[in-house]
Amino acid sequence: MGNKSSLLLREEEIAQIQEETGFTPNQIERLYSRFTSLDKNDCGTLSREDFLRIPELAINPLSERIVQSFFAESHDDRVNFLQFMRVLAHFRPIKKNRENKLNCREEKLRFAFSMYDLDSDGKISRDELLAILHMMVGANISEEQLTSIAERTIIEADTNNDQMISFEEFCRALERTDVEQKMSIRFLN
Amino acid sequence: MTSLKHGVNLSRRACRQAFALVAVSTILHAVQCSPVETTTKTNPSMTVDGISTYPGLGFGPMGPVEPLPGEPPGTQLRQNQDTTTELPTTEKTKKERTFVIAAFEFHRVETPFLIGLWIFFASLAKIGFHMAPKLSRMLPESCLLVFVGVLIGALLLSTHSVHVQPLTPDTFFLYMLPPIILDAGYFMPNRLFFDHLGTILLFAVVGTVFNTLTIGASLWACGQTGMFGCTTPLLDMLLFGALISAVDPVAVLAVFEEIHVDEVLYIVVFGESLLNDAVTVVLYHMFEAYTEMGPSRLVYTDILAGLASFLVVAVGGTCIGVVWGFATGLVTRFTNEVRVIEPIFIFVMAYLAYLNAEMFHMSGILAITFCGITMKNYVEANISHKSHTTIKYTMKMLSSSSETIIFMFLGVATVNNTHVWNTWFVLLTIVFCSIFRIIGVYIFSAVANKFRLHKLNRVEKFVMSYGGLRGAVAFALVLLIDPTVVNLQPMFVTTTIAVIYFTVFIQGITIKPLVKILNVKTAEKRKPTMNERIHERCMDHLMAGIEDILGKHGNHHMRDKFKRFDNRFIRPFLLRNYQGAEPKILETYSKLAMRDAIEYMQRNASTIGNISGAESMSAIFKNYTNTNFNGSPSFSQIDTSTWNIDMQELEYNPSKKDLTDAKIHHLLAEELCKPFRRHRRLSYSRHAVNERDLGIQVNYKTHMNIRRRVGDRKHHHKRSKRGKQDGKNHVTFPEFQQNGSAKQFTHGKIKYYRLDYIDEVLQEDGEEREVRRDGDDGGITFTAKSPLPNEDILEEDERRLSDDNDNYNMIVAEQARVATPTATETMLPWKREEAEGSGALKQSEFPSWASNKEYLAYNSPSSTFLGGIEKPKHPKSIIGLFRRESSSSTQGAAEAVVLSDSEGHRESTSKGEASSKDGGVRQGPSLLSKRSTSLGGPSVLLMEDVAHSDPLGASSRPASIMQGPQRGQCRRGSMMELTGSMSRDAITEEKCCKSLPESERMGVRRLPLGQSLGREPFIRQLTLASSLTTSSSSEDSSDENT
Repeated sequence: MGNKSSLLLREEEIAQIQEETGFTPNQIERLYSRFTSLDKNDCGTLSREDFLRIPELAINPLSERIVQSFFAESHDDRVNFLQFMRVLAHFRPIKKNRENKLNCREEKLRFAFSMYDLDSDGKISRDELLAILHMMVGANISEEQLTSIAERTIIEADTNNDQMISFEEFCRALERTDVEQKMSIRFLN
Repeated sequence: MTSLKHGVNLSRRACRQAFALVAVSTILHAVQCSPVETTTKTNPSMTVDGISTYPGLGFGPMGPVEPLPGEPPGTQLRQNQDTTTELPTTEKTKKERTFVIAAFEFHRVETPFLIGLWIFFASLAKIGFHMAPKLSRMLPESCLLVFVGVLIGALLLSTHSVHVQPLTPDTFFLYMLPPIILDAGYFMPNRLFFDHLGTILLFAVVGTVFNTLTIGASLWACGQTGMFGCTTPLLDMLLFGALISAVDPVAVLAVFEEIHVDEVLYIVVFGESLLNDAVTVVLYHMFEAYTEMGPSRLVYTDILAGLASFLVVAVGGTCIGVVWGFATGLVTRFTNEVRVIEPIFIFVMAYLAYLNAEMFHMSGILAITFCGITMKNYVEANISHKSHTTIKYTMKMLSSSSETIIFMFLGVATVNNTHVWNTWFVLLTIVFCSIFRIIGVYIFSAVANKFRLHKLNRVEKFVMSYGGLRGAVAFALVLLIDPTVVNLQPMFVTTTIAVIYFTVFIQGITIKPLVKILNVKTAEKRKPTMNERIHERCMDHLMAGIEDILGKHGNHHMRDKFKRFDNRFIRPFLLRNYQGAEPKILETYSKLAMRDAIEYMQRNASTIGNISGAESMSAIFKNYTNTNFNGSPSFSQIDTSTWNIDMQELEYNPSKKDLTDAKIHHLLAEELCKPFRRHRRLSYSRHAVNERDLGIQVNYKTHMNIRRRVGDRKHHHKRSKRGKQDGKNHVTFPEFQQNGSAKQFTHGKIKYYRLDYIDEVLQEDGEEREVRRDGDDGGITFTAKSPLPNEDILEEDERRLSDDNDNYNMIVAEQARVATPTATETMLPWKREEAEGSGALKQSEFPSWASNKEYLAYNSPSSTFLGGIEKPKHPKSIIGLFRRESSSSTQGAAEAVVLSDSEGHRESTSKGEASSKDGGVRQGPSLLSKRSTSLGGPSVLLMEDVAHSDPLGASSRPASIMQGPQRGQCRRGSMMELTGSMSRDAITEEKCCKSLPESERMGVRRLPLGQSLGREPFIRQLTLASSLTTSSSSEDSSDENT
């Protein structure tokens, strides 16, 4: 998006983002100010470093994956505002009347799934799960325990016996979880 | 004591003088009227002091105890005497003095006795309700208890026996309330609570103030019209409003526990009821003080002071609670040497927190709630698993019994003569309470929804307003009002009772159907799965990260922050085993893993043989045999070592189930044992219950679970095989058809073997089946006797399997050889479970469990044998064998635990033996030796078991004696374990008695031991012994059969 020079969003851009993500103009502006405050270089895009400069995020065990999720669509390791908003749109709370394709349950789940899917092959392998577990748990648990946890998790979810968790299996495993609630953030107006 | 002796002597003398009748009558009188007279008369110095107070008068049945200061307990006896001598035994009192052998003294124990009686009857009433399922389904327990209380109160009132108010404010606040609140706080779902803390606080603080003011003002306004017929000063009304507006945690708990609403709804209402205590206390005290001061002297600073006092009371109470909570965590850090007193710290320190807060007129409820919330995480990490269980159950017990008593006393307290019934006042109070509750809920939920992610919908709002129950807290508070200051106090009491009855009865009863009608989301109680736990945790991190990116300080952010702080600064100081960054996760994982292991096994037990209820018997059967036949060679390679090495075993292709067993073993070894062992590493103390018991307990339970599961499966098998009997169309495996009748066959065989045991061994291979057939019922048809060796093997396996089943079904057969296994099963279900389980165990599982030390500690035959495999030794005598076996088994266990997950290890160790054995065993000629050696197994077991069970097994007594100490060694004396070991004994006994007659079959399976021991003389010895015991046991069985 061509906002490199100006800090203000143009009307049509707002409209486009609103159309695509379902955010209200107020929210978009609020998020845009956040976006620009993160954008230390004033180049209109965010780099990984920009994200990791957030102190709390830097110590988040999954920071790498979280940041990576923003770069899923970009090819040049930069994230523009639209991409930024598209990712955030996943976390909008679901409202009955305002159905949006980005924040439905499946999309939320897909986002969570993508956290695990390191090689983006649509399946969570044992090693991928193990890697995430490593990030979350750290060095507390011995390697074997972690491995067996990962294995069991896979066995638990794995219905077609391919030793991987597919997205369908992932959804089924989280069938009873209130993903709509858990993966929603109240965006300020 | 002296008096008693004295009395006895005297009475003896009296008997000699043939005053027997008199003596008897005196004794009876003595029992009636508590004459401690002998003491008092013989020691005249002890009499008097002139305190003629009846000691019981000082105490209400539950009232505040007023101990007479400085009095030694003996003085009470003195006082008793004064009153008791007035009882109508004047004639015989002189003799009575001399003839007392039994004394009765009620007043000394009156208070505690009555307390005990109350508790007993209240709990009894609770049991009673659940005897009538219809009643308890319709009415909430609280209603029933109140009802019973009213009945008792009426009874007491009519008999004029006790004119006491059992539910005094002090009793309530000091003794009955804390357990309930502690229970609530300790088991508070922390995350849920803090997620909704904002809403809860809004309702608890603002909502309660709103209710108080509106109710008070409305009542006052109505009072101005004169409809109440009495003056209703505003402050009095506000005071009343303060106490009546508070939602009662006890009542809410009692009702909401039963309706199982959605957890969000539950936590909001319940949290409100807990936290509004601070508001209630403050408002109550504030208005009480204002009333005492009088409205004229009230200045605005007093109102400001009230506000300030609210902050002090709420924050102070919370702080006291949190500090005590941390202190508890700290204390439990050092209790690892004295595990048995661990639970008391939790209770005592929480109680101290409560009293401490009350001491400063702060909110005790807040204090104990937050104490529970705070201590929970740290305490849980520090205490042993057993202590955890103790705490859990003690807390539940205390809280539910005090809840029971509260409701009962509420009923009892209703019945008295001092009610001042003001219809308008009562009606209007109820109406205002309901209306303003609803209005308040709607207003504040609208406010809350602005800030909530999860919006409270209409139904939830309704349940929230409808669930605003009033209860004993209001009642206790209203009793606290000084009638001299507030003239309307009696009316308030009556009205409060009416409101409580209204909410508890009308709302309490109707809320359940309403929840159903309105289709309120109800909570499903379930344990999260591994996936859910991991993914949810992952989502938490994700959301925290997103919040950070957004620069928003929401729930996730705060939680994250607190967790970091906690891990960095608090946990290292409070936890004994500080696990690093996120110990909670580890804990959760290990807990989950255990849960999961069980789940896993359950699931697999049902799917192993692809057995499901829907499948036909033949399908199950086919499945089973197919797996046996067609199991891949690699499988057999892998698992041979975990099996008993045997001729047949080599050919045996383990089924899926066996592989699963191996997995289960992994699970158990890694997930169950390791994480839990973490807690009890340093815990050996004479004063503590040995922690190993705990370990055994835990694992034992799990094992039993597995075994039961597997056993269930076997049961299926058996049934399926039985079904086969009728079918008569199965050609390949005739042995299956024997299963149903294996027992009868056994009886025949016992004698058969007794005749010439050793010699028969040779022919067994051929004759065995014939013998069995002879024993079989006529209805069973053998369609084929397969000549093929591999089929033979299969038969062997199947037979073993089936025999095992029957063996274990016949647990009781030891004592009474019940003719039908089904009878035994139905009569002794617990035995059945274990029996079948052990059947499964013997088949294939013990190798996979053997690595569990705890399991081995049971000295089960399988473990013993495994021990034999691991460390072949050469004992000189039977005694030596026993001793050594046990030790070796434990050693083996230790080793195995080290190896734990690597079955490959054991594989390799035992493979050598396996190969060496198998060569010889497989050939026909070596069968004899095999058979005879194999006898070693059963006979060893037999000796061990007959000693315990067989009354006629005199021949084996020595063995049993030897066995005794060894067993004692293994058992470490906790009750739990004893029970465990007892049942285990049953299994072993059962196994043996059954296995001996069929020893060649069993023997085959036990072979590894005999072989690895490889000592012929010893085996002969054993054989001798076993044949002896056989005879005795068979006699036994035949006796019982006839």
